[in-house]
Amino acid sequence: MTRPSKDEIHYLLLKLHSLTGIVPIGAFLVIHLSINSLRTVGVLPYQLSIDALNNLPFLLAIEIGFIYIPLLFHSLMGFYVIHIGQTNLLRYRHQRNWLYTMQRFTGAITFVFLIYHMGTTVGAKLWEGKHYFEAAPFLMDILNGEFQTWQGIVIYTIGIVSATFHFSNGLWGFCVSWGILIGKNAQRNGAIVFAAVGLGLTFLGLATVLEFYLNPIPVEATVIG
Amino acid sequence: MTDKKISFKIKRQDKPGSPSYWQNFQVPFKPFANIISCLMEIQKNPTTQAGKTVNPVTWDCNCLEEVCGSCTMVINGKVRQACTALVDNLEQPIALEPMSKFPVVRDLQVNRSRMFENLKKVKAWIEIDGSHDIGEGATMPDSDRAKRYVMSECMTCGCCLEACPQFTLNNSFMGAATFNQVRLFNLHPTGSMNKEERLDAVMGEGGITDCGNAQVCVEVCPKNIPLTESIADIGRQTSWQLIKNLLIK
Repeated sequence: MTRPSKDEIHYLLLKLHSLTGIVPIGAFLVIHLSINSLRTVGVLPYQLSIDALNNLPFLLAIEIGFIYIPLLFHSLMGFYVIHIGQTNLLRYRHQRNWLYTMQRFTGAITFVFLIYHMGTTVGAKLWEGKHYFEAAPFLMDILNGEFQTWQGIVIYTIGIVSATFHFSNGLWGFCVSWGILIGKNAQRNGAIVFAAVGLGLTFLGLATVLEFYLNPIPVEATVIG
Repeated sequence: MTDKKISFKIKRQDKPGSPSYWQNFQVPFKPFANIISCLMEIQKNPTTQAGKTVNPVTWDCNCLEEVCGSCTMVINGKVRQACTALVDNLEQPIALEPMSKFPVVRDLQVNRSRMFENLKKVKAWIEIDGSHDIGEGATMPDSDRAKRYVMSECMTCGCCLEACPQFTLNNSFMGAATFNQVRLFNLHPTGSMNKEERLDAVMGEGGITDCGNAQVCVEVCPKNIPLTESIADIGRQTSWQLIKNLLIK
């Protein structure tokens, strides 16, 4: 096997950057927001879903392999992508150019938000060693507290909107870069569909925030039997 | 109104690498004047608005009918051809600048050889008989002919690159014009014999993955070439090529 050239590595890394944004990171975002929105149905289904996730075998390995490493890779490549471009939005005020700039901006915002979000939730959980059925009451306690401050609500609202925008606009970018949406009509129709996906996800996320704000209910660890 | 004037604000530079500076000029008003005719007036009487006689402003132009692309410059902040920029439609003072993404030679002249180098890299031509006869060309469907005609109108003017946020003086991005040529020649029945070589040339640093889909290129293209369609199509062709390289070769 010949060693790949610098150009081949460059191409592969950027393709992988595009792909990791959809799978696994985008897929994770959809699952994450969907499962969390169970909170709007009731505390019990929400707690049971957290219990299920926290009792998965090899949880840490799954998280590292399918979330943390791809996320770190996508973020670092993202900062490289920001670095090679130079926005000219003030001169050429076209819609796509605006979305181009926003894609980079929301990517950076989401990165900062995730440092905060992971620090207060999964980071704290690992630090305190709250595993299995102990995780849900611990995490829900933290979230109940966060959403009782206006700062918490503002941080989560900005974080969720940035992430859903970045994902839905990124879906469009992925489809164009990989040559799935080619023609002008296809690209426009795709943009409409993905905008709807983005709005739906934003609604799920913000509804969950609202529910936490309105009903901060503490829970005990689930006991089986 | 014999004393009506047209005012200009021109960004000047004496030689490559030297600092740029602005000078104001006024030329007598003429109806239907374009930027080139005004620059010719300035050349006849190179006196600034302040009354100082200076070296005449230099610029490039050739066909004067928006076909050659050589008079491309930034007019009132937007990149376009000077020949089809009619003074009557422009706000004054009219600001003229050289393109910012290419090295300035002098005043409004820039060196666009980077585009030519990229055309060579992607083999933007069709191989014909060499030492051996490669036979008669295949028939092209008329739908492909029609698609290729629009793409073939590219005059390498550089508007798409000047307006592209991913194309800068210091990076190696090839840009929309080059990707459009790859599609143009890959779509030709004889040209497609070198399809993989062309794709390989855009699958590296500065290649197709460096496109950020800001799509300003298609907005500023004076020939209305569907550049974003070409970019997405090359995205598809290179993605297949990647899969082939990884799994088949």
